[in-house]
Amino acid sequence: MYVFICQNSLEGIFSGVYDACASRLGHRNIRLVTGEPENYELFSEYIYVTPSEEKTRKVIHTVTSRFGMQFYESICQAAMSGEPKKKGKMDKADAIYETILLALANGDGQKVLLSLGEPCVYRIFELCRAANREACHHLEFLRFGELENGVLFATIHPKDYILPYLAEHFTDRLPMENFMIYDATHQTVVIHAAAKGYMLADAADLDLDKIKRYSENELEYRRLWLAFFDHIAIEARKNPHLQMQLIPKRYWADTPELSRFA
Amino acid sequence: MRIAQEMSLMEKLTILTDAAKYDVACTSSGVDRRGNGRSMGNCVAPGLCHAFAADGRCVSLLKILFTNECIFNCAYCQNNCNSDVPRASFTPDEICTLTMEFYRRNYIEGLFLSSGILHSPNYTMELICQTLDRLRNVHQFNGYIHVKAIPGADPALVERAGFLADRMSVNLELPTSDGLRRLAPYKSRNTILKPMRQIQNRITENKNELAVWRKAPRFVPAGQSTQMIIGATPENDFQIMSVAESLYQKFALKRVFYSAFVNVNHDSNLPVLPGGPPLLREHRLYQADWLLRYYQFSVDELLSEDRPDFNIYLDPKCDWALRHLEQFPVEINRASYRTLLRVPGIGYKSAERIVKARRTATLDFSDLKKIGVVLKRALYFITCSGRMMYNTRIEENYICSQLMSDRTQIPKDVRNGGYQQISLFDSGFLEHAVIPQEQIIAGDISAPAQAG
Ligand code: SF4
Repeated sequence: MYVFICQNSLEGIFSGVYDACASRLGHRNIRLVTGEPENYELFSEYIYVTPSEEKTRKVIHTVTSRFGMQFYESICQAAMSGEPKKKGKMDKADAIYETILLALANGDGQKVLLSLGEPCVYRIFELCRAANREACHHLEFLRFGELENGVLFATIHPKDYILPYLAEHFTDRLPMENFMIYDATHQTVVIHAAAKGYMLADAADLDLDKIKRYSENELEYRRLWLAFFDHIAIEARKNPHLQMQLIPKRYWADTPELSRFA
Repeated sequence: MRIAQEMSLMEKLTILTDAAKYDVACTSSGVDRRGNGRSMGNCVAPGLCHAFAADGRCVSLLKILFTNECIFNCAYCQNNCNSDVPRASFTPDEICTLTMEFYRRNYIEGLFLSSGILHSPNYTMELICQTLDRLRNVHQFNGYIHVKAIPGADPALVERAGFLADRMSVNLELPTSDGLRRLAPYKSRNTILKPMRQIQNRITENKNELAVWRKAPRFVPAGQSTQMIIGATPENDFQIMSVAESLYQKFALKRVFYSAFVNVNHDSNLPVLPGGPPLLREHRLYQADWLLRYYQFSVDELLSEDRPDFNIYLDPKCDWALRHLEQFPVEINRASYRTLLRVPGIGYKSAERIVKARRTATLDFSDLKKIGVVLKRALYFITCSGRMMYNTRIEENYICSQLMSDRTQIPKDVRNGGYQQISLFDSGFLEHAVIPQEQIIAGDISAPAQAG
């Protein structure tokens, strides 16, 4: 068995797919893993994949031109998934590799994505479903606060890398605002300039002092929001359990209305 | 009004939120509208829930009344002219500021504006229109707006509001006109259905206008909804669901909401509910409502004069299937979409996936599990390639007891409110299916568990 060890990134995984295909070692003898394997097997050979922009571009080109955007998006979403590795669950890199092979053999990417009977396709489906859910939750539970300089600032801790998706959504929604979304998990930040557009940047350059200084109005609107939030609940129907079920605890700290109880 | 003007925004907001909270609709669904690159806001069709309040209900819109002053005396309403509550009124500007500031912080999807009746229906509706007009045209707000049509207001004002809002609703309040006469003497079936019909007709006309001219202004693009109070008057489930069905069919409503009655006024005309609001009943009505809207059921399949109420212990779909065992089991690889929809444990999304997936492969139970079918419910009703999952008896009492042991039959939140204290297997529970209401704590309004 040959095990290709890929870096946990889109580029890492796609380069792995490329190398695996190019190696001509026989698909049945190949496995892909993201990150260091937990334990090494005696009779396997381990190959480290060096991420390459060029290889990544080639894989993207093949996938998009032969199987369409939707197929490509599903694969990407799976690749960006932050789900921790679990015993008994297929590694995402391996699932992507095998799914691409299936599509190449079958010719119809859409059809392949529907064959949930295939373990690799099912794994992609699972990962996409989880990432979608995470993205949707953030559209809902993300909160902006207004800084002294008028910029709207939000901090999030998402499991998956969903920032580009959020950036699109809020750019469409708040085109005339200066806003920033700081993904503390992936140390990335979206910076949107009013009437211009957004860019993604490394969070290392973030001025952590500035983002703590809220505008004068901010606290007042926050107080109003908390009052609204508390008064909209019907006393006779109080149900903390249901509330907890609907908004999982890990989102609480980043919202002003629930961080009080987190 | 004089008092209102001296109040702080905070005081007004708390009073007018409290006054609005018994209205159940809070969804922001039904319209897809991209941003326009200039002003604030867009809308996504499924709607977004920004928070969940302490009662587990979704908070999607800033739900407030314009004023809680009211010249009417609806017995079930805490704002009625006889009740002794603090009164307040917003100004249009205050509402605009709150909406814009909450929206840009991503607290809300938009505004839900209702109102008590100040001076007259027309006077109130005029204020509502002014507010929406400012919000749309001065503040350029492009997010979601749900607005109430005040019964008795001039049709011209209703029309004006409809061009500013995404969704409109007129509350039916009570399922029968008799109940209305008794509890809301100033309202009548007529003053409620008239604007409802007007909105329906205008929506249809607007569709034609849009077909001719794509840029025609849009009238109530997210459709109209209504709500009924459940448990304040003695109607049974059959009556309530029949009303809902005809609202869907004859008034083309997008949604009917059911609101478990909360006795806020302690009015002697109203039932005392020592156990609190009838939440499990409300939950069953929502499940049945889903069956009407997404599962191609009709009310007379679910209920009848002789069996006018839903089974408290089983969701309406399981209940229906048990009474129609002669139609089961169905073969997963052949059954029509409509037939699949009727299988307990198969939701409409799973049914779609089954139809798609079986084009390329013959499906087995393990595939169904991946597709999202709840097998522990479905297994009594299906075969895959002619085989049942286990060798089970197809016999009503047996399946019934098996389904009942499935704890999801009673929503988790209700169970955790103490439901498990009741033994489901007390002898003869089916004959005396009465749950002490005080043991039922909650049900979810805006996102009812799918009947599936
Ligand atoms: S009209 Fe009736 S329901 Fe509406 S606010 Fe007045 S009293 Fe309440």
